Amino acid sequence: MKPATDTSDTLENLSELSRSRRKRRIREAIESYLFLLPGTLLLLVFNVFPLGYAFYISLYQWRIRKGKFIGFENYLRALGDPKDVLFVLAGLGLLAGAWMLWRKVSAETSTRELLLRFGAIVMLITGGLALVLGFPKMLENGDSEIFKSLLITFYYSLGTVPMQIVFSFLLANILFRNIRGKSTWRMLYFLPYVTVTVASAAVWQSIFDPTKGLLNLGLLNLGVSEPDLPRWLFEAKGVNLVLAEMLGITLPDWMGGPSLSLVSVIIYSIWVYVGYNTVIYLSGLGNIPVALYEAAEIDGASRWDILRKITIPLVSPTTYFLVMMGVLGTFRAFNQIYVMTRLAGPVGSPQGTTMTASMLIWKHFWEGNRFGYASAVAFILTAVMLGISWIQNRASEGKVFYG
Amino acid sequence: MAEFSKPIKSLRHYQVLHFLSRFFLYGILAIGAIIAIIPFIWMTQTAFKTYGEHSTRKFWPAALTLAPYVGRPAPREIVVEMKPADDWRNVPRSYSQALSGVIQVDEVSRFVAGELERKDFPLPFEVNLLAVDLTDDDTANYDSFRVTVNTKVIGQFVTRLDGQQLGGPNYEGADRGRWGPHYQVIDPDPNHFVVRESWDTWHIFFNNFIYAWKDANFARYMSNSTFITILTIVGVVVNSTLAAYAFARMKFPGRDLLFTIYLATYMIPAAVTLIPNYLIIVGLEEFFQTTFGLKNFWYDNWTALTVPFMINAFSVFLLRQFFAQIPDDLFDAALIDGAGHLRFLAQVVVPLSRAPIMTVIIFNGIWAWNQLQWPLIVTSSERWRPVTVGLISFISDAAAETHLIMAGSVITMVPILALYFFTQKTFTEGIATTGLKG
Repeated sequence: MKPATDTSDTLENLSELSRSRRKRRIREAIESYLFLLPGTLLLLVFNVFPLGYAFYISLYQWRIRKGKFIGFENYLRALGDPKDVLFVLAGLGLLAGAWMLWRKVSAETSTRELLLRFGAIVMLITGGLALVLGFPKMLENGDSEIFKSLLITFYYSLGTVPMQIVFSFLLANILFRNIRGKSTWRMLYFLPYVTVTVASAAVWQSIFDPTKGLLNLGLLNLGVSEPDLPRWLFEAKGVNLVLAEMLGITLPDWMGGPSLSLVSVIIYSIWVYVGYNTVIYLSGLGNIPVALYEAAEIDGASRWDILRKITIPLVSPTTYFLVMMGVLGTFRAFNQIYVMTRLAGPVGSPQGTTMTASMLIWKHFWEGNRFGYASAVAFILTAVMLGISWIQNRASEGKVFYG
Repeated sequence: MAEFSKPIKSLRHYQVLHFLSRFFLYGILAIGAIIAIIPFIWMTQTAFKTYGEHSTRKFWPAALTLAPYVGRPAPREIVVEMKPADDWRNVPRSYSQALSGVIQVDEVSRFVAGELERKDFPLPFEVNLLAVDLTDDDTANYDSFRVTVNTKVIGQFVTRLDGQQLGGPNYEGADRGRWGPHYQVIDPDPNHFVVRESWDTWHIFFNNFIYAWKDANFARYMSNSTFITILTIVGVVVNSTLAAYAFARMKFPGRDLLFTIYLATYMIPAAVTLIPNYLIIVGLEEFFQTTFGLKNFWYDNWTALTVPFMINAFSVFLLRQFFAQIPDDLFDAALIDGAGHLRFLAQVVVPLSRAPIMTVIIFNGIWAWNQLQWPLIVTSSERWRPVTVGLISFISDAAAETHLIMAGSVITMVPILALYFFTQKTFTEGIATTGLKG
């Protein structure tokens, strides 16, 4: 009889235990919700809700106060005819689809392969056609400022991100060797990132000053005559035109590229972020197992081989992270452009050549008080940004090596 | 013998190569460091220049040489007499030895003259004086100063524009106020006062900083920024530590979904939420005004500048990753000792997580101190504007006076640079850990 009582005892104990466990679980759930309450509330009010609210705003004619409901008119005003927009979207979708199909093909059998390849080509052609048909019209009917600002943002990221990556990779690789005073170097490189953006942008603005700035003083000492000095932040002309002029060549206007003013801002951005990227690269390099290098050295690999076949592939996650952050950052960049181009005139000066995505939104929102339209523009530019990061994501697939 | 000489030669060869490659590497590092630092040197150097020195492209500021500080005459006291010429309204004159010559107080505004005529005008009283040096007819030197009768001289602004060169720009002349003597009224009297003439070394050295500090009301802005930054940091650390702990160590329904939402907010672009957030602040302001009768509780107040930033996905994610690594045994031990989650968090987890919490503090500190766009739209007065906005408006005010703008930039940078130098190691290491693992 003893075992029986024992079991019933245990059972009772068990049920007691499970009851108390359930109680504890409920208590823990309540406690955890309390832990999460302040953060989640703030996140909902100032991050999640605004996303929907912004869309709501973009459907109205909203100038400081809410006006009348106009549906997608703000978007149409920005992008032009809905038919063209549809054409462009379909074209882009088809191109992306063709590309994905083409990549999949190698896994299939030969007859299907042929068919799929054919399908991909058809998609490519129709997609390209749709783009060719829709895009010029969209440019014509839409808000040309948006497309211009996209181009400027594109120039801006193309100017900053690759340079930042190359310089910081170089510096990090050198610092990673047996270098004396490693932490001092690191501290010096990191200095630009820590300083207040507004202040350092003001400093660079004075460095770029056409008459008294450091850069032009240097050029004067190098023998450039006073009237030939570049006007940096005040120059709306394309950088290629300016360079060509210095060499005495005349170029057509469309070859101008980003304005010298934008290039000045790009130089500043490179200066700020190289140190930050270097520090992150250093930690990425630190994660590569030393054994790999040793093995390669024993096998007689040259420095160049080691760099190409070990270092670069193994830091690719860091590179990917930095490129992503860099591109997102150029869409977000406000402070430096705002401060540096203020003296040249209104937002986006000179002549709108520094009107990046965030500056355009700022112009419509704060200078023009067009809340509805600004929201629509923000959504469009964000969609483009998401598209670009998606492409980046796809393109880096298989090239980024995660241990 | 030949067999031995070869390795020695190649060893030397190797040494030379090694030296060259080292030299090359340090060379690149040095170039990088110079580029990183040059703007700071330029900023500091310019901040010590005078307007004239900057305009005439003088390389080295005189304030950073010994010359202005040595061989100055000893302080002396001068009696300045203000006598009416014919009547006070036009040209009150006074002759004195204040500057090396006879000074004629040449111009007093009509209002001031009227006030001076009254026997009972209230003290202290501010006067702007334009003094003309009459000793030399060819160089009619002007000197204007601002005096407060019955207290002290506030300062001298334009000093000694050489009369000959009044036609063209004369930068040197305009700067002499900085090097020249400073006057202090020691015996105030409406018609006659004793002035002490002295050279203020401190003032000569820090002239631009003092001017910028006073002119742009930096004291206000700095304290605003400090308050906003500290409050934001406290909020972020408390909120994100709690949230990260719940995500890492507690079980509750909907945890994964909620965490996904948290992470997703990291992707929401600020460009989209800027406008609705502004309207939310305006809406909250209206709501608090109508229901609680609180004016400016949100708009143009510290609340709008700090509360929205008291949580972010980045901090929660970073802390959660770290908290999740803390071994369960520790918690079980704490549980046996009768500690609950909150106590475990406060007494075990937080002390163990000093490094990631430091990272959160540093990042949010930089972000909060750097804020510009948001304060521009949710503040309208100086009361809560941070130093970034202050610097912007100072840049507009100072316009061409680059030396003052640079002084303002130095003032803005100093606190964060000081913080950086003191916490340098934690700083860079904290940042390095955030870029890890894709």
